[in-house]
Amino acid sequence: MLQIALGLLALSAFAGFLALCLEAADAYFADYGECRVNINRGEKELVAEGGGNLLSVLTDQRIFIPSACGGRGSCGLCKIKVLEGAGPLLPTETPYLDPEEIANNVRLSCQVKLRNDVKIEIPPELFLIKEYKVRVAGIRDLTPDTKEFRFQLLDPGAISFKAGQYLQVNIPEYEGCDEPVYRAYSIASPESKPEEVTLVVTKVPEGIATTYLHDLLEEGSEITLNGPYGDFYLGESDRDVFMIATGSGLAPIMSLLYKIADEGIQRKTTVIFGDRTRNDLFYIEELEELGQRIPSLEIITTLSRPVEEDRWNGRKGRVTDVLKDRLESGENTEVYVCGNPAMVEAVEKLALESGVPRDRIFYDKYA
Amino acid sequence: MTRYPIIQSPMLDDIEHRLRPCPTYCHGFLGEDDRKLVQILTEDQGTVHALGLTHIGIAERLRSLTEAARGGWGDPELVDDKFFVEVHEIRGKLPCPWPHPGLYQKGFARLENIKTGEKLVWTELSIHLIGEHGFYEGKGSPYRLDPKDLKRILEL
Ligand SMILES: Cc1cc2nc3c(=O)[nH]c(=O)nc-3n(C[C@H](O)[C@H](O)[C@H](O)COP(=O)(O)OP(=O)(O)OC[C@H]3O[C@@H](n4cnc5c(N)ncnc54)[C@H](O)[C@@H]3O)c2cc1C
Ligand code: FES
Ligand SMILES: [Zn+2]
Repeated sequence: MLQIALGLLALSAFAGFLALCLEAADAYFADYGECRVNINRGEKELVAEGGGNLLSVLTDQRIFIPSACGGRGSCGLCKIKVLEGAGPLLPTETPYLDPEEIANNVRLSCQVKLRNDVKIEIPPELFLIKEYKVRVAGIRDLTPDTKEFRFQLLDPGAISFKAGQYLQVNIPEYEGCDEPVYRAYSIASPESKPEEVTLVVTKVPEGIATTYLHDLLEEGSEITLNGPYGDFYLGESDRDVFMIATGSGLAPIMSLLYKIADEGIQRKTTVIFGDRTRNDLFYIEELEELGQRIPSLEIITTLSRPVEEDRWNGRKGRVTDVLKDRLESGENTEVYVCGNPAMVEAVEKLALESGVPRDRIFYDKYA
Repeated sequence: MTRYPIIQSPMLDDIEHRLRPCPTYCHGFLGEDDRKLVQILTEDQGTVHALGLTHIGIAERLRSLTEAARGGWGDPELVDDKFFVEVHEIRGKLPCPWPHPGLYQKGFARLENIKTGEKLVWTELSIHLIGEHGFYEGKGSPYRLDPKDLKRILEL
């Protein structure tokens, strides 16, 4: 029995070793030369040295495809259409693709190796994603575990985004973390101030990015961001709007409210912002100012567990309790929700039960 | 632990490389534990077996405790009249270091056994790592869940 087990182990070790040798041989000896990448039927064409995967080839050329696993083939986010030249579908891709996607030549760009000329199709909005060099213009404590970061854009000097979208912050190597990582943070500042972006970051115990941002990043230092990403933005209609946020989920809601104020949008808007205690709430003055600029805006702040020192005379309970009272009929309503994922789920359920159609409930899908 | 030599396959070598502090996770999954991954897995498997438990059973208990407290959105919930459990979910998902599809919600659950005051912390990824891979993380990792602690604190 033991001999069989050891034999099997040795065999699997040998097979693995062979696979590694093949991989190494491919990396060292295969020369694919220059390959052409034709994008969106000739709209753009780039030339790259063959051998790398499509995701990194595109990233090197400043075309940013969403990814959460750094190209390890385990997040399934880096989908693009490869119309020609991709080679056969790999077993590492199939778990992420449904039959319709497979029929439409959708592939995981991190798994497709560039060995010859290829024709690919990517959503045009991805061309708008750029890398920005920024300087930290200000850091401010908002709550005991949440900070606001103001970044001045250096190169390019301005960004075009839709209120509600997010950026990826490039966290550089730091002591204890040998490789840069990327993390998503919603933009809290107005579209109308494109030369500066504000992010709101809540500290996560042992978190790679939040440890760096909270404990190491200093005013005046320079880092890079890329974006904008996401389809969480204000739809064009005259329906009533409910915006629900907890914690740092208020960030994109602030940006949406600045847009409503700046553009004089006349939609009945109700913001429900909640957290545990008074200490956890922030941007209260900013919300009051927005209340003065937007006549159709009602702001309800609510605490789920106020303590005595809070001397809280406002609304008590959860954001969903407030929403239940306020959302009479979902017919003429859009719901924008951001924050704790369990809260987002609860709000979605409540909104659906109140008759808000699913396609009028907006939140960040990958959060 | 065992009389026989433990041979680690190249696949486990590759995973071990990812589990060590950095490149993808600062503190990594192995802490300061310098044993080979296969050894960590084998020793924990032996402990779990000796305690009369299974990886799947432990993972299911952690999952049911998480589910019971998830609706608290971070506030402590009393579960089974024995534990206070708070579940803090964070926006963002992360992949398992083993190569397979799937992303796991960031965040953590914190449990306190009311009778003893002992505490445990786990994450959605920890539940998956235990249930699917029999991996309790290395000694010194902030998310190491020692099977003996699990048995005692969760009263399994
Ligand atoms: C679209 C979007 C927008 C976002 N906007 C914001 C925002 O505006 N503000 C904000 O604060 N955040 C925002 N986030 C969240 C943010 O991107 C990060 O996920 C968050 O800040 C945590 O990053 P981190 O690097 O500090 O933590 P990480 O190091 O990435 O993750 C920590 C988590 O990983 C897990 N984990 C790590 N190591 C282990 C281990 N060894 N064993 C088991 N589990 C482990 C745990 O669950 C732990 O809680 C957003 C996320 C998305 C997707
Ligand atoms: S980048 Fe994650 S699967 Fe391709
Ligand atoms: Zn796994």
